Amino acid sequence: MKLISLLDHLAATPPAGGAAPRRALLQQLGRAAVAALPLGLGAALPAAAETKDTSLDAVSQLLLLERLVSAFYTRALAVNGLIPAAQAPDFQRILRHQNQHVALLTQALQDGGAILPPMPAFDFSGQRNVAANPVLFPNVLSVYDDFLALAQQLEDLSVRLYKGQVFNIAYDAKLYKAALRIHAVEAEHSAHVRGLRRSRGATVKNWPSSTDAAIARPAGAQALATAATGGEENLLHERLAGATVPFPTILNVFRLTFVSDESIAEAFDEPISSAAAQAALSLFF
Amino acid sequence: MSEHSHSPAWRAQPLGRRGFLRVSAASAATVALVAATGCDTSTPTPELPDPHLLPLPADDNGLFYQTYLLALAKSTLYQKVVETPPADLTAPERALFLNMYDHEVAYRELLRYYLDPALTAQLFPTDFAFNLSSFTLSTRAGLLAAAQKLEDLAAAFYPVIIPLFSSAASYQRQLLLKASSVQARHAAVVRDLLVPGSFANDDVVDAAGQLLPKTPVEVNAALAPFFAPYVISVASLPVPVV
Repeated sequence: MKLISLLDHLAATPPAGGAAPRRALLQQLGRAAVAALPLGLGAALPAAAETKDTSLDAVSQLLLLERLVSAFYTRALAVNGLIPAAQAPDFQRILRHQNQHVALLTQALQDGGAILPPMPAFDFSGQRNVAANPVLFPNVLSVYDDFLALAQQLEDLSVRLYKGQVFNIAYDAKLYKAALRIHAVEAEHSAHVRGLRRSRGATVKNWPSSTDAAIARPAGAQALATAATGGEENLLHERLAGATVPFPTILNVFRLTFVSDESIAEAFDEPISSAAAQAALSLFF
Repeated sequence: MSEHSHSPAWRAQPLGRRGFLRVSAASAATVALVAATGCDTSTPTPELPDPHLLPLPADDNGLFYQTYLLALAKSTLYQKVVETPPADLTAPERALFLNMYDHEVAYRELLRYYLDPALTAQLFPTDFAFNLSSFTLSTRAGLLAAAQKLEDLAAAFYPVIIPLFSSAASYQRQLLLKASSVQARHAAVVRDLLVPGSFANDDVVDAAGQLLPKTPVEVNAALAPFFAPYVISVASLPVPVV
């Protein structure tokens, strides 16, 4: 140990003004950080998935999602000629995963002593089983491109709902870890379906991007678009309550590494609240 | 104003952690000096560790460091692809790699920021690098094999580390959760480029429909050959109960 360096260190230490100078310094830093924020930024922060859901709410909603997606692929695979033969194995694999997720969540509810929610009568037209209602999702079980567009939205919704609910089930370490690993599998599904759509001419990346062409739907179907990709352009990611990670500073000024806002937004998938997810799920039964 | 800026010697240190150890030693010595009534000249000289051994710190910072290393590995690979793409890589594929390069730079610099908000410390020795020489980056197939190795690792790593963070890192954990699905998207893209339809295949997903996990020790072992002569130790990191 170099004594000179130690003395340097001691000499450079600000004089202790109170009993706990370090704590005071931290408090000062905290105040400075808050003061440095642009006015009103705190209020503009996106409402992340800070749900008040119980673990039962969370698992029940995830089960509803997985049942819905499983029913969608089951019906699509049963329609002759809808999915090209070359892609049938892809969707058989995706369906197998969704069924495995249904089994896991069902088991979790049963193990917890909960009564399983009844299986809804899913209707993928968006008419909610009422013939007089307008069709929100035409041809999703007869035209491949329309099928793919809905598949993409449901997979994106899955990623975002697991992301929003996963910390609500952290009480159960096993289920928590399973949900995190399922969340990753849903993201692989979404990336694949997005790639399939791009190969057929759609303007879409493998990750939600501001350059993706919107999927045209009637106004009544807006809840699905909101749940699938709404807010993905977010650039304000919290590092502390009310303070965001200064991406422009850490990427473009100090490090001389230019990364566009578009790319920064793509690099982070957003969670959704259970209410936003429920509004979308409710379109299908 | 960061604590270590009091010491001009800090910035000259090649490795942040070594600097940290030195300052820690200084603090310990300070206590000793204050406690002692006289001036003790027998201050022990600490033995210098192996200069190539880089032990990652315990707890949240150790996890940030390891996640940083994965982002460093991928951004190094993709920078090379962006600068000198294989001749048989198509233009749309090059665009994908440019996007993934951007994402990885964002992760790398985010984690660097978590480790050193002042952005002044040198995290690793100046000659520390992710070495690409064992990959065949002149062909599309060679590039995709390299990329798949790294993307599969990262996709499998994030779900394992997220539960390991302390409650003090809840905001960082939330943002890494947002990144974790994009890691999985990268993995699916690269897998599909190499073998169409190999996304989420049975070699990476178990019979319960869950991505097979990789622990910090497994990830470290997989990356170790590329950081030689440096040796990263993750012995202090939290151990997941899988």
